[in-house]
Formats: sequence, C-alpha cells, structure tokens
Amino acid sequence: MRGIKILERVLGTIPIMFGVAIIVFFFIRLTPGDPVDIMMGQGGSISAGELENLREEFHLNEPLHIQLWYFLRDAAQGDLGYSYVLKQPVTALIGERLPATIELALGALIFSLLVAFPIGVISAVRQNSWLDRLSMSTAFLGISMPGFWLGIILILLFSVQLHWLPVQGRIKLGTGLEQHTGYFVLDSILTGNMEALKSSLLHLVLPSVTLGAPVAAVIARVLRSSMLETLRSDYVTLARSKGVAEWWVVIKHALRNAMIPTVTVVGLQVGILLGGNMVIETVFGWPGLGRMVVKAIFDRDFPLIQGAVMIYAFTFVMANLIVDVMYTYLNPRIRLG
Amino acid sequence: MARFNHRTIIALLLLMAFVFTACAPTAPAETAQPADEGPGASGTIVVAMGAAPVSLDPADHRSRESETVIRNMFDGLVTRDTSSGVHMQLAESMDWADEQTLNVKLREGVKFHDGTEMTADDVVFTFERIINENAIEYPEPHTSPRKGLIAPLESIEKTGDYSVTMHFRGPWPPAMQLLVHQQIVPKAYIEKVGTEGFIAKPIGTGPFKFVSAQPGLEEVVLERFADYYGGSPDLTPVGPACVNQVVFRVIPEASTRVSALLAGEADIITNVPQDLIPNLEANENVQVKTAGGTQPKWLELNVHMAPFDDVNVRKAMNYAVDKDLIIEKIFGGRAVALPGPLSPYNNFVNKSLSPYPYDPAMATDLLKQAGWEDTDGDGILDKNGQPFTFTIDTLEDWRPLAEAVADMYRAIGIDANVRFWEYSVIKDQLMAGERQGYLDDWGDSAFDPVGHFEAKWHGFVADTPYGRGNFSTYSNDRVNELIEQGETTGDPAARQAIYDEAQQIVYDEAPAVFLILPEEVEAASASISNWSPASDSRENMHDVCKAE
Repeated sequence: MRGIKILERVLGTIPIMFGVAIIVFFFIRLTPGDPVDIMMGQGGSISAGELENLREEFHLNEPLHIQLWYFLRDAAQGDLGYSYVLKQPVTALIGERLPATIELALGALIFSLLVAFPIGVISAVRQNSWLDRLSMSTAFLGISMPGFWLGIILILLFSVQLHWLPVQGRIKLGTGLEQHTGYFVLDSILTGNMEALKSSLLHLVLPSVTLGAPVAAVIARVLRSSMLETLRSDYVTLARSKGVAEWWVVIKHALRNAMIPTVTVVGLQVGILLGGNMVIETVFGWPGLGRMVVKAIFDRDFPLIQGAVMIYAFTFVMANLIVDVMYTYLNPRIRLG
Repeated sequence: MARFNHRTIIALLLLMAFVFTACAPTAPAETAQPADEGPGASGTIVVAMGAAPVSLDPADHRSRESETVIRNMFDGLVTRDTSSGVHMQLAESMDWADEQTLNVKLREGVKFHDGTEMTADDVVFTFERIINENAIEYPEPHTSPRKGLIAPLESIEKTGDYSVTMHFRGPWPPAMQLLVHQQIVPKAYIEKVGTEGFIAKPIGTGPFKFVSAQPGLEEVVLERFADYYGGSPDLTPVGPACVNQVVFRVIPEASTRVSALLAGEADIITNVPQDLIPNLEANENVQVKTAGGTQPKWLELNVHMAPFDDVNVRKAMNYAVDKDLIIEKIFGGRAVALPGPLSPYNNFVNKSLSPYPYDPAMATDLLKQAGWEDTDGDGILDKNGQPFTFTIDTLEDWRPLAEAVADMYRAIGIDANVRFWEYSVIKDQLMAGERQGYLDDWGDSAFDPVGHFEAKWHGFVADTPYGRGNFSTYSNDRVNELIEQGETTGDPAARQAIYDEAQQIVYDEAPAVFLILPEEVEAASASISNWSPASDSRENMHDVCKAE
C-alpha cells in the first residue's frame, strides 16, 4: 500500500512541475532586461541586425505563447533548451553542477544534525541550566549570523591564520581524482584515493559549517521545545514511575515522540540547504548550482533559470515527501494521504 | 499494523540520486595531475579570477575572463602588450594593399598542440567561422558572438600556404587593435571532432596546452607547450613558457580571493577591491601592481531633461566634483581624472584637454547664471520656486564613488541622492531618456575611439552601433559627422584631428560629468616574477615565473 501511495505522490509532482514551469516562464520574462543586450556587453561594435539575429535564434522575437509552446514541447521530451550565454544544453549544465551542491548540502546537514541533536536533547533535559542557556544563546547567534560574514571569519581564522583548512574550492590540485559521479567524496572512496578523500573532506568542512550553522540552530531549538513538551507528558511520568532508567526514558519515550516536529523542520531545511546556498557557494568558491543560477538571473539566461528552478521545485517536493514517509515510521498511526 | 519498510526510504533516496545524476557527465574525467616538468620549467601558478570563462572556444564568447584563459592557449595574428601597443604574433608581417585589403604573411613552422602545423587554411577557417552565419554548429547552429568585433571583414582568401588576404567592406582604421581579439583555431581538428569535441579539448598554438577543466570552467588547468614557437619577437623573453603549469580558478568573492593569496592557495589574484589593498601591501609576501584601466566612469546627465538641458548647469556639475579628493580617498591614488569623453590612455585622446578643475565658486556662479539660487535660505538652490533635486542612478559597484559625488553636490546646495539599480533593469529607462543622471562606465579595451565613442557620444540610431550606450540622450550633428568620418579615415593624423574636434565639442557641451578612470589592481605572491597586469585585464602567463 505504502509503495503505491508513494508512487501516487511522485506522479503528483508532475502537475506541480508543470505549474512551476509556467510560472517561472512568465515571471522571468516579466523582469526588465534584454538577454541579448546583456550578452553582447559593451566593448567593440555590434553589426547592424546582429542583435535581431540573436533574438531570432533564441525565439525571443516570437509572441510569448509561441515561446511557451516551444518550451513546453521541448521540456516534455526532456530537453530544457540550451543556455544563451554558456551555449550548452541546460540539462548537462545542471547535471554537472548538482553533485557539488548536493555534496555540500549533505555535509551541512550532517554537521547540523551532529550539533543539533545533542544540544537539543541536553538543553531540554537540563532545562534552565547554564548548559541550556549557553547552547540556546549559541543557537540564537547561529540563526542571526549571516553566512557571508561567518564564512569569511572562519576562513580568516582557520585558513589564513591557522592554516588548518583550505580557503576555497572542492579539492586541492594534483590529487589525481578520477571523477565518475561528480561527488568527490564518493569518487575518492570508489577509486580508493585516500589523498583525494582527505582533501575533499577538508574542503567540505568550512562551507558545511557555515551553511549548517543556522540550520543546526533551528533544529536544536525545535527539538528542545518538543522534548520539553514530551518530557512533561503522562507516559514519560509513567515510564519514570515504573523505574525505567532515565537515559532510556529520554531516548526511547521522549526523543522519539519529539521527532515529528523536528523531522518536519529538517525536511524543510533540506530544501533550503539545496536551494539557498548561493551565498555560501560564492564565499567559498564552491562550483555548485546556486552560483550558476544567480549568474543566469543577472544574464537573463531564461532556459537556464527555468531548468534550475524546476530542479529546486522538484527537490522541495521530494524533501517533503520523504518527511511524510518518515512520519509513518515515527508514528505508525499516521498514514500517507 | 504495517511497520515501515526501510527499503522504501532507500528506494526514494536512490530515485532522487538517480534523477539528480541522470544528466551528469558519464565519461570519467580526471582532476589535474602535476605535469612532468619540462626543461627549464618549474612550478604551478594558480590565478584566481572573479568570474568563470563562458567558453574555451575563441569564436564563441564575449567575455574578458574567457579571453584571458583562451589567449594563454591560443595565439592570434597580432597581440597586445600590457598597455596599448600591438605586435605581430602568428603573422610575420601585414601590409595594407589599399585601405580595404590587408595582406598577411604568416609565420612558418608554428605548431598546434597536437603537433600539426598552422597554415593559411587554419587562418581562413578561423575567420570564416566567425563571419559566416550559423558557422558554429554546437549545440545548435549559431553565429559567432565575436562577429561584431570584426564586422567590416567581408571575406578572407588563401593566397599561399603561409599567406592570406583579408577584404574589408571599407577603410577600417582600428583593424589592428581589434584583430588582437581573434585567435587562430585548427581547421582539421575542429572538422574532425566538431565544436563539441573542440570545447572539451581545445587545441591552439599558444604557450600553454589544455589539460582539464572542471564543470562550468570553474577551474581550467593548462600545461606548458614545449614546442611553442616563442610568441611575438617584439615581446621578450621569446620561447616556451617559464612555468610548467597554470591553473585558472574562479573565486567570486573578493575577500576570499585575498584570503586564498594570503594562505598560499593562489599565486595571482585579479580585481583586488580598493579597501583590501592596504592589507595586502602590509604583507611582505605579497606584491600589488596596477595597470592603466580601460573602464572610464562618467555621470551622464540627461540633456533633454531640466535642469540638465542647460549647458551651464552641466558645466557646473563638472566643476563641483573634486576628482582629486575622490582619487585619493576612495581609490587610494589608483585612478586618474578623465580629461574629457575619452580615456587618457586611448590612442586618440585629445591631449590639449585637461580635466575640469574643482572650482565650487565657478559651479555656483554658473548655476546662478542658469537661474539657480537659494532664495528661501533653506540651503537648497531653487528656481521658480522649485528646489534643485537630483537623483544619481548607478550600480551597487560604484556606491562609494556615487555617494561622494552626491555629497559634493549637496555642498553647493543641490539636493542630491543616490539610487542603486541592476543594469539590465535600468537600461531600458536610460535608453528611453527617463532618468536624470546615470553613473557607470563603458569599456575601452581596444584603446581606439571605435567601439566606444560612437556608442556613448553619437546620437542614438536604432539597429546600428550608434548611441547604443548613450544615456545622456546627447546628439550633436557635427559630432555625429566626425564620429562617422573617424571610423573610415585611415590616415592617423587626419583621424587624430577628427577626434580632437569631436572631443573638444563634447567636452564643452558636457553631456556628462567626466569623472575618473580607476586602474586595474592585481596582487601576487612575492615568489612570482616577470609579472605585470595588463590594461585589458588579460592575464598573460607566458613570461611569468615562480620561485619554488
């Protein structure tokens, strides 16, 4: 049953993607700015009619509904067009950038979970202790600090001053890593290249911490408040009165039930981690999707923007679906709708 | 009750991973290995740039970053030194048979990176690929975006194994400066592998050969070409490159670029922001160098909108700006005041013009003549009961400059403020003449008025290059006529006279506040030698050496 429901939900993303495609198509064209004009830049001269030829090449001289028809017809066949500026198929451009973005998002997620869970649980169990106050103040700081500032401070401290970690990029030069999947950590493991593994992990640390810090703070605060709620519930009191060991009460009875709101937040944050890391990618020179999209927006590179936004939309929908599936695991009374 | 099936989650995750990676490249790529050191060569130089190249195909881009990387792999018929001098490179000599016909004798024995020899066939193929419609077939047939840079070229023919003749539609005085921007590609190789194969593994005649590139050209690794013919004989040293490997890496954030240099991860960094220069200069392991810039900054005043429809007001706006103070305080001395509508480094600048001096008394006087006085004692000039309010539109990049200028206007009683835009958003409003004043620059990397003067100071004519960047809506019949004459006059002295007159008129009519020209600032590790930044922002790594 559950498999069929999941399949239904996956198929349900098709109309969503269709809607997203149409909205993005029109919104990006409503933004002022002519892609051809921006592409030609300033220097040099432009021959008469050259701009017109380019508009014709990109179908920009056609009415909007005809442009939309071309776009939807090609998209239905898996062809998202080719980038005006980079002159390459959009699917290929997105495909080669995504692994970097996903690897960074996973790094940030792992960091935030590793930090948030102990802090959230301990703060709840030792409510109002100095540890609780300290971790919640730190969490507040984590939410408040802008990523570009935290990133630069971390670079100055750990890279420029202490020389512990690399400043930027995904891997150092000359590790000889053979790329198969585009995920450098995975590729290093698959090819048994330990030097590349070490280098790619080290390169992941600062961007993951910077990207993960606000996420960790959000998760820790949500986990703490839902833990506080469950720790005061009757079944926890009952478990304690039965003489169950305190750590078992916390882990088995309180934490598991406090997980539902936490998983919801984590799910939403995964979407944000994948879609909202343009700033971190810029600070750390991380060659991911976010930066390419920002540049595409400034260039008014319509096909590339459309393709990338569709991928982001798909990621959000999928992250939510995974959250829904996890609910049924955490609380068997919940069923997939 | 059915327990949750772990396999479902795993299946979902796999599905996502599949979707995400379905379109990823399947052929194994390899990150660069340090190359074997050739005789006389050592080391790897990492150049950190602010933006990625868009293509490694010399015919398929319009970006300075692309040209920087490309011109280390590909040579052209001619090249430029670090200022504005043009020198023979793959051409041994060039002679104008008449004003429209250029005979080119090619250097013999030049090898492409695959060992084949460069001949006239390659040169003809290169230029035909640029000027012919839809000559680039990948990913869909399209015309080279560089065609406009060589628009007057009508055809090119082979006249011998090592000679070609170029036919132009009319006289084209800036030909030499603009030929610098076209690099020669191998005909046989491109015909064999296609454009798709060529951009995956480009081959040229330049001092470095392609090794590998990361997706999006975020990192491009090049290796010394041992069989390099040596480059332009005018630009010493002649011979293969000094270093073994060059890596062009993109670090978009300026402070990260600086950090990478300080941490030893980059050897040369481009586009150093003014506020970080003191930090770098204080470090003994770093050298900071500058080159004359090519992006002059103006505040264009809408000559069809009050109060700037009065030439006295426009002149007053020029006298009211203390350019020396701006250069000293904002640019740390690394800029020059513009003497008029052309950059002082342009080959045809009018040498008799000098920057409008800072003279607030003169400005106030001129404004008074135009009827602007503070009659109500509120500190703001007024005329017919209307206060002098002025919005300077600009881009975020020029914030300190625009704010300083606005402050100087407030000092003489103009209620000036600054508003920031994205260029693509404001462009249409500027062309429609809807804005009061716009502060920005316009590139002048060919050091010739063509490509620049007609865009800024010629009246707008649709579907032509004339006035395509004219945001002051200025149009003067005599200037228009001179600009058109200058484009087709071959004799340098006559051309100079034409442009001198045009500049003088524009200077006197002041459709803009001629502000400043910032220098190109770059920094390198102290271990780098023989390095100097170029005015056209190109990073030529041929001569650069690195001490280990």
